[in-house]
Amino acid sequence: KLFHFGPCRVSMSVTEIRSGFTAIKANIQARDPIRTLSILSHPHSLHKVKLLDRCCITHHLFNFYVDKVFKHCKTEDSYINRKISSIANSFLSVKRKLGQCYEQNKCLCGQESKEKFKQILANYEGLNVTSAAIKSLGELDILLDWIEKSP
Amino acid sequence: SGELYCSLPNPRNVHFESVNMKNVLHWSAPEGTGDGVLYKVKYSVYGVGKWIRKPECRNINRTWCDLSNETSDYEEQYYASVKAFLNGMCSDWTETTRFNPLTDTKIDPPMVSVSSTEKSISIFLTAPEKWKRSPEEESVSLLQVYPGLQYNVSVLNKKTKKRWWFSVSNNTLVVPWLEPGTTYCVSAQIHVPTPLLHSGFSKEYCIATLKDK
Repeated sequence: KLFHFGPCRVSMSVTEIRSGFTAIKANIQARDPIRTLSILSHPHSLHKVKLLDRCCITHHLFNFYVDKVFKHCKTEDSYINRKISSIANSFLSVKRKLGQCYEQNKCLCGQESKEKFKQILANYEGLNVTSAAIKSLGELDILLDWIEKSP
Repeated sequence: SGELYCSLPNPRNVHFESVNMKNVLHWSAPEGTGDGVLYKVKYSVYGVGKWIRKPECRNINRTWCDLSNETSDYEEQYYASVKAFLNGMCSDWTETTRFNPLTDTKIDPPMVSVSSTEKSISIFLTAPEKWKRSPEEESVSLLQVYPGLQYNVSVLNKKTKKRWWFSVSNNTLVVPWLEPGTTYCVSAQIHVPTPLLHSGFSKEYCIATLKDK
């Protein structure tokens, strides 16, 4: 499916990512006992991000998942690990495409998107690495729901 | 809350049952308990720090609680929890898994209406509405919630038993080049590609094409 982030156009196999996540959602979310904290949705919801900032936030979030989340999500379950790595591969290709947009200045970052992403990193760094990575992985549907809402 | 130690077995299978985003919490009574068990319910928005009690589901003896109102923002995700009481004893709180109204709801079949000419039938499809608090509240079609929503339509020639399948995004389908004076039966299903959701098929609506003049 082709997603439009302003001048930046990125094709993404969301259905494939979603089905991979659906297969591991219950298992991964059960490993996250912290109900009172979210990486992506509180205190600021992704759904409040302005249209202009979508590309920049998406670019940073894909970098975040590839660089800080997937690699810290090893489990004792090989089935779960395989699903995680296939999601990670899908993210990697999208990360590259968004990176090209970013380098070609088609993915501008305003102050608000920087603040928003800073908050996400603060939420992430408020936990130990493994808990933060597992919680972020368990919130993948929050990211996908938001991305798919893009016009 | 004053309960020192809870030895009653926990409520079982605490889960949301959701249709068109009418989100109802369900559970089973604790094992080995007969009549007389009472329950209370609380819920929380994922990522927000507090549990909120549901007054209408306090000291109830039924094993369900409608939380549609409290979980109507489908940009949020939720947990709910139930506690049981019997003869002065209590159970621990028992929680649901994380509930995402957008991906965890079931969708009803579409409404279907048909009309015919001599050689064609027209099929009109309507997606169900999202649950709403009251009849006066503005209706929201699930088409607005799921912009990628499609309809799978089956058309059966009752005489030849030949069946066609169509997948359409808009809500009108005209099937041309049919036989005059023949009965055709139509059934339709909703399909959302992502997040992957589909309804059951609607019941069949049959109509005859007009006879040749």
